[in-house]
Amino acid sequence: MGLARFWAIMGGFVLTGLVLLICVSVAGRALNGFLHGDFMTSVAPGFAKWLLDLGIGPVNGDFELVEAGVAFAIFAFLPLCQLTNGHAAVDIFANQFPRWLDRTLRTLTEVLFAVILVLISERLYDGMLSKMRFGETTFLIQFPIWWAYAASFAGSVVTALVAVYMAAVRVAEFVTGRDMLPAGEGAEH
Amino acid sequence: MSSLEIGLYSFPALLALVFLRVPIGLAMFVTGLVGLILVTDSTNMAFSRLKNETFSTFSSYSLSIVPMFLLMGYFATLGGMSSALFKAAEGFLGHRKGGVAMAAIGACAGFGAICGSSLATAATMGRVALPELRQYGYAGGFSTATLAAGGTLGILIPPSVVLVIYAILTEQNIAKLFLAAFIPGIMAAIGYVIAISIYVRVFPGSAGIRPPVPMGERFRALFAVWPVLLVFIAVVGGIYGGVFTPTEGAAVGALGTGIIALVNGGLNWRTLLESFTVTARTTAMIFFIVLGAAFYNGFLALTQVPQELSNWVVSQGYSPWTVLAIILVFYLIFGCLMDSLSMILLTIPIFFPVISVLDFGMTEEQVAIWFGILVLIVVEVGLITPPVGMNLFVINAMDRATKMIDTYKAVMFFVATDIVRVIILVMFPSITLFLIS
Repeated sequence: MGLARFWAIMGGFVLTGLVLLICVSVAGRALNGFLHGDFMTSVAPGFAKWLLDLGIGPVNGDFELVEAGVAFAIFAFLPLCQLTNGHAAVDIFANQFPRWLDRTLRTLTEVLFAVILVLISERLYDGMLSKMRFGETTFLIQFPIWWAYAASFAGSVVTALVAVYMAAVRVAEFVTGRDMLPAGEGAEH
Repeated sequence: MSSLEIGLYSFPALLALVFLRVPIGLAMFVTGLVGLILVTDSTNMAFSRLKNETFSTFSSYSLSIVPMFLLMGYFATLGGMSSALFKAAEGFLGHRKGGVAMAAIGACAGFGAICGSSLATAATMGRVALPELRQYGYAGGFSTATLAAGGTLGILIPPSVVLVIYAILTEQNIAKLFLAAFIPGIMAAIGYVIAISIYVRVFPGSAGIRPPVPMGERFRALFAVWPVLLVFIAVVGGIYGGVFTPTEGAAVGALGTGIIALVNGGLNWRTLLESFTVTARTTAMIFFIVLGAAFYNGFLALTQVPQELSNWVVSQGYSPWTVLAIILVFYLIFGCLMDSLSMILLTIPIFFPVISVLDFGMTEEQVAIWFGILVLIVVEVGLITPPVGMNLFVINAMDRATKMIDTYKAVMFFVATDIVRVIILVMFPSITLFLIS
């Protein structure tokens, strides 16, 4: 629980950082337009030029930073969702199933989920390696794309770990017949 | 098996998985993966797509609007805006017959203007308005039904997370969709107020009387909602006016509601971390469905099923209106079983190509926007339709004294006005398209 929560909060801080970055960029753009505008160029041209030379304007490459950051944030959010059974599912039919079938399905689903998330993580690693090999960078600020992949990969590894843990617990429950974790309460959206 | 057949068989396979309670995102992902392997007869293509597809799906600038809107909605709750809205609406409406319930609807509409999620609106307003409703002698089922219905305004009135997803899926302009949703959203609020006034006349014992509030106090309460207005105008006005992109609007809105929550004392270290974890869970859930849908739809496109389906529908020569009616009824039924976002992600890639080739006597963009608003409304009706309306569960869980069946009975009055509204909007597309033309 601690690990997943920690990652979710990290993702939250990155998301907040992106919010601030975008706001600064919007403000910079607005100010830049104002300084270039008729009013400032006629009233205080020197002052306006000084500010513009300081670099008042939209943040260069904000678009790219948001894309990289939001991918990391989402991968960082996934472990908590996985651990608390936050994924949306249709349970109206399964709730009518007999107990043994219900448990079997729950176990199988969790095992399937773990397999898929491990696969996603492994594939992402492969993707990162090829971005590294070709040295691809982003268009404007030229930072290597594999950095963004690496950050996301870290989150995906934690997600895969949590999924494997959940699957192991469900299998253990299935074998011993005891409940260890709550069945989950479904997510809000 | 031909790839077209594989594509067609994937529908029942996917539905079976979903009804066996496999999470919807996972079900779509697995069906897409297996289908892709079957169609290409090897794992090469599927696996090489996976190298970049998860990252590129998650690292989308336009989708980053979703977590930002979620954060914004949570900050709005922390900032006490829900109770300010309710107080203001109650001051003007509370003393009328059924007035406290009407005030709850009004406050939900106001909160919907700064919150993009239906359940969040229902849950937030429920905490504020439910105790008041009960205090003034409003019947349990009537109160819970009012708030469940009011919650759907959260997603109809822009900003709306579901509309963002629709816009991205169909490559439409988010700002135009937001604007188009505005009049139908107001119509929904008016429809619910009418439902309330009919309900209290059919069941006179279901609502008590609240003494009127002095005029001065009313305007003071009204004045207290200025932060809501400010955020709404900045975000929706800014997006529509072209001052900034929708993503920038969401960021400005999140910062704005965050600052208001900070000033009002609702935001501290503990609630900040809480807002992160709540946002994290919901965001992860949404994006996993988006990922599954992207993968499944990539597979479907390869099998050409959506094209074949729309060709078939056109060749049958059905009236466009018949096709539209069938699709909307389908949404109404399935919306009772599935959440709105999954519904849209699952079905739009199949239905949208069909709708866009039919001739409704409008431009392609007009049809896309009109259809999007209609779909949004019908899937939202599913949120308050028994037996599995999610909003009903959320609100009912807050009021243990009220039986589920009482909520079910009362909510039918609201569902009825929803149906009437859908029919009106289908008959007169110009209502939806009025603001964008």
